[in-house]
Amino acid sequence: MASLFKDPAKISAYRDRRFNGTQEEFEQALLNSTTVYIGNMSFYTTEEQVYELFSRAGEIKKIIMGLDKNSKTPCGFCFVLYYSREDAEDAVKYISGTILDDRPIRVDFDWGFVEGRQWGRGRSGGQVRDEYRTDYDPGRGGYGKLVQKELEAQRQLVDYGAGSLGSFPPVMPPHYGKHGGGQGHGGSYRHGRDYHRKRHRDDDRYGRESSKRSSDHESRRTSDHDSRPEKNPRFRESGDSDDEEDDDRKRRP
Amino acid sequence: MSSWKSLLLRIGDKSSEYNSSSDFKDHVETCFGALRRELAHSSSEILSFLLQCAELLPHKIPLYGTLIGLLNLEDEDFVKKIVENTQNSFQDALDSGNCDRIRILMRFLTALMCSKVLQPSSLVVVFETLLSSAAITVDEEKGNPSWQARADFYVICILSCLPWGGAELAEQVPEEIERVLVGIQAYLSIRRHTSDSGLSFFEDDESGGDVVEKDFLEDLWERIQVLSNNGWKVESVPRPHLSFEAQLVAGKSHEFGPISCPEQPELPSTISALSYGKQKHEAELKYPQRTRRLNIFPASKTEDLQPIDRFVVEEYLLDVLLFFNGCRKECASFMVGLPVPFRYEYLMAETIFSQLLLLPDPPFKPMYYTLVIMDLCKALPGAFPAVVAGAVRALFDKIADLDMECRTRLILWFSHHLSNFQFIWPWEEWAYVLDLPKWAPQRVFVQEILEREVRLSYWDKIKQSIENASALEELLPPKGGPNFKYSGVDGQEKPEQEQALSAELSDKVKGRQSAREIIVWVEENIYPTHGLEVTLSVVVQTLLDIGSKSFTHLITVLERYGQVMAKLCPDQDKQVVLIAEVGSYWKNNAQMTAIAIDRMMGYRLVSNLAIVRWVFSPENIEQFHISDRPWEVLRNAISKTYNRITDLRKEISSLKKGVISAEEAASKAKADLEAAESKLTLVEGEPVLGENPAKLKHLKSVAEKAKEEEESTHDSLQAKEALLARALDENEVLFLSIYKNFGTVLMERLPDASSDVTLQSLKSIHGDSMAVDLEESSTMEVDDENGIPKKSQSNGGKATNTYTVREKEQWCLSTLGYVKAFSRQYASEIWPHIEKLDAEVFTGDVHPLFRKAVYSGLRRLSNEL
Repeated sequence: MASLFKDPAKISAYRDRRFNGTQEEFEQALLNSTTVYIGNMSFYTTEEQVYELFSRAGEIKKIIMGLDKNSKTPCGFCFVLYYSREDAEDAVKYISGTILDDRPIRVDFDWGFVEGRQWGRGRSGGQVRDEYRTDYDPGRGGYGKLVQKELEAQRQLVDYGAGSLGSFPPVMPPHYGKHGGGQGHGGSYRHGRDYHRKRHRDDDRYGRESSKRSSDHESRRTSDHDSRPEKNPRFRESGDSDDEEDDDRKRRP
Repeated sequence: MSSWKSLLLRIGDKSSEYNSSSDFKDHVETCFGALRRELAHSSSEILSFLLQCAELLPHKIPLYGTLIGLLNLEDEDFVKKIVENTQNSFQDALDSGNCDRIRILMRFLTALMCSKVLQPSSLVVVFETLLSSAAITVDEEKGNPSWQARADFYVICILSCLPWGGAELAEQVPEEIERVLVGIQAYLSIRRHTSDSGLSFFEDDESGGDVVEKDFLEDLWERIQVLSNNGWKVESVPRPHLSFEAQLVAGKSHEFGPISCPEQPELPSTISALSYGKQKHEAELKYPQRTRRLNIFPASKTEDLQPIDRFVVEEYLLDVLLFFNGCRKECASFMVGLPVPFRYEYLMAETIFSQLLLLPDPPFKPMYYTLVIMDLCKALPGAFPAVVAGAVRALFDKIADLDMECRTRLILWFSHHLSNFQFIWPWEEWAYVLDLPKWAPQRVFVQEILEREVRLSYWDKIKQSIENASALEELLPPKGGPNFKYSGVDGQEKPEQEQALSAELSDKVKGRQSAREIIVWVEENIYPTHGLEVTLSVVVQTLLDIGSKSFTHLITVLERYGQVMAKLCPDQDKQVVLIAEVGSYWKNNAQMTAIAIDRMMGYRLVSNLAIVRWVFSPENIEQFHISDRPWEVLRNAISKTYNRITDLRKEISSLKKGVISAEEAASKAKADLEAAESKLTLVEGEPVLGENPAKLKHLKSVAEKAKEEEESTHDSLQAKEALLARALDENEVLFLSIYKNFGTVLMERLPDASSDVTLQSLKSIHGDSMAVDLEESSTMEVDDENGIPKKSQSNGGKATNTYTVREKEQWCLSTLGYVKAFSRQYASEIWPHIEKLDAEVFTGDVHPLFRKAVYSGLRRLSNEL
């Protein structure tokens, strides 16, 4: 309706490099698609949360979680397939920029899911944007992958290999040296895998709220973060194995 | 964007285009200057853009009207074209029944009259045309009173113009406008008062019967009369033309040609209450009432406004909501920046909530209003959040009277809203609901909000969010894990054999055995020795467990192994057992219960009738008044059925278009071929096929293909129509089943029909021990001892809110509320089957309260109402 203020030529600023076709075909695909892409999600957000929110725009046909191609865990994006175009449009109009799991999510038209698009395209398996980030984002696995690697290298130098718990405090390298294997590891040990998952999640959350894009000083206090994303604490556990899950995802028509 | 365009677009806004000036006179002069320079070489572009602006930014119409008045002094022909153009659009809008366009174009005509582009008498002619059409419609003999909705709409449009031009009309053509007003008065005396108890937000307007609330038109009429007595002064309507009066009078007034209103549809040949009702329903769908006031805030918050200002501001807000759907930034900034000299946050909140809760449907999905409210909270962080909280409290206080559909929307909205604001809410205010019985509407409301919050987030997070009222934890849903019979961990272990079978099945699935193999295994190894019950339990529980990790896992299992369940449950009886097994597996997770059942219906493993039967099974009936859980499942089943029908209708309508174009293509191809053939015969008196045989052959094949195409689209249209006819028959069966079930369970529980029982009397059958006195901080409507709600009293003092309804009565109230809500939501689908329903369900011995709930949901007139 409000055509006066909209640039009709611009349906999406993002151009998927993997799309086989011309720009025109790409735009046509976006105009007819009933699929939306959701970005900037937390790694912890479950399909059921997505379902609850997005079904308010219309009946959902499918949800495809974006997965880290190495760890096969959610890596912060997904596709939602609707039955009707109108519902997909409403999802873009009304959900994009709103909060899911404390994060502003992005919702865009997508040209259509094809097998293979569920995998992260970053070098380390996740999304490209998580390769180069330098901020600490506990909803998306802590630091960006490159920074993580650097930190890992630093830590091994200081730690003499003792720190195989896979964790370290979220501080920049220069500060880290002073901590050694002390406080940081103690913290992570307490909140390691065996610790109650939800609780751990809460800690993460607290840390992020107080230190989101904040100074080193702030982030140093929240010293017990895992460097890599744990298995999603909100995934319902059941007798099934993880391999099965991944297989299911791959095999879905 | 060229500068004249952005000047037109931004006129009246505090914006950089106008150096942040807020003087309308400056704006008009600046914009006029720019337009005048461009007029010579881009007149047609200006014309269409200007009209577009006027239609999409109707709150700026006085400014556009003034601009056009000034342009009229420069270029009469240009303005003549504007008038002609508008006349054509207006006639089109009348013919097609485009309500928004009719209303806005009439306001535009009024503004043109103010700036001397149109003669006042031309406008009066428009008014009189509409008024006489309205008067004929409601005339019992000449017209068709079932179409009163349209007649009312026309009269509302006339009245709606008066805030914008009443003063000018009264000054320039006092007698003519008086005649119009007298005519409207006469119209009001013939038309029927619209009693919309089926669409009102609160179930309290039947308390007395002597106090008849004004309907929308009567209310507007009263506001206009006050306005007229006030000398037509309106604060909320800018009057920029006054600053240019001296120039404008020199302009030439243009003719506005005659317009005509479409005829009302004829009365059906056999006049019966039913056919009348069907037509009325159709008319009300086409000419819906735009808004309905919630009246949730104390009068003190809005009373300093003149009655007409309230109407005008509502119009502005509704138009912005209408035209800026999907443009968040502009929507919020226009909402907060209306051209009025007073504050209107309360009015804004109330208007948005009125839309969010509007019955039968808001113009847009409820989520749109959720977004608008969020954006306004961010745009006015100091003022709006508190107003929203006030609205929530006011609605919460009246929740027991709030319509069931509205309650559901409010729960969905509020949980979603809070999820965008860190789930912060002063829950301690509502902690007292724990002292209420578990069926008390306020308690159920809190519980359902928490349920939805958990779905949007996760259990621990929501538990943390209610820390300041930690007792409310009791109302949190269970933590949500599956309840697997064969997990082998719970105390009451299942027989080892079953356990083993479940494990075996699980291994088979992991081993990727096909559905066929598993069906054979089940039929050979389980069914013969264990019987249906155990077989079903093992198969369904195990498969659900394999699919329990996520929505996608569920879908995958159902896609691969749904056939195993289908084979076991070919008929409705067994499907009910299947659904019950789902309910038991997911008993701690309402969302997964609903999703699983919904998907099973999607894969046609269970029918909608089986779902209805399960919803009306004893264990669910017990939940009707204390949980949304069974209702969610029922809602999903009906809406899925409805969506299938809608899809078929869409396909059919596009196929119909396809048939027409295929027919055209075929006849054209045939004509081409014939033309080519006849041309060939003329060559030198004898048929020379060699002239262009290739072309002829080509044409022949084109014609054949076109013919085939025509036939095949015909065939697929017929196929789809057959499918639709079947779907509609199934829909009839579905509604019969729903209503029969409702009728039966209500009859068992409602007090004897012979007594003079009403909803109010249900509420006032007191359970002595249940009375809980509560301190209420709110000043909103409060029930008095008799349970009769009083109209808002704002004494600011403490009041006693006593919830004394007993369980059985609340069960009846809630269930009747859902009956009404379902009837209303699917009224259009139910009306075509009304004869059958009347014959089989709504017979003489049906309970009067049940009948009343259905009728008011369908907005069906009856003697009882």
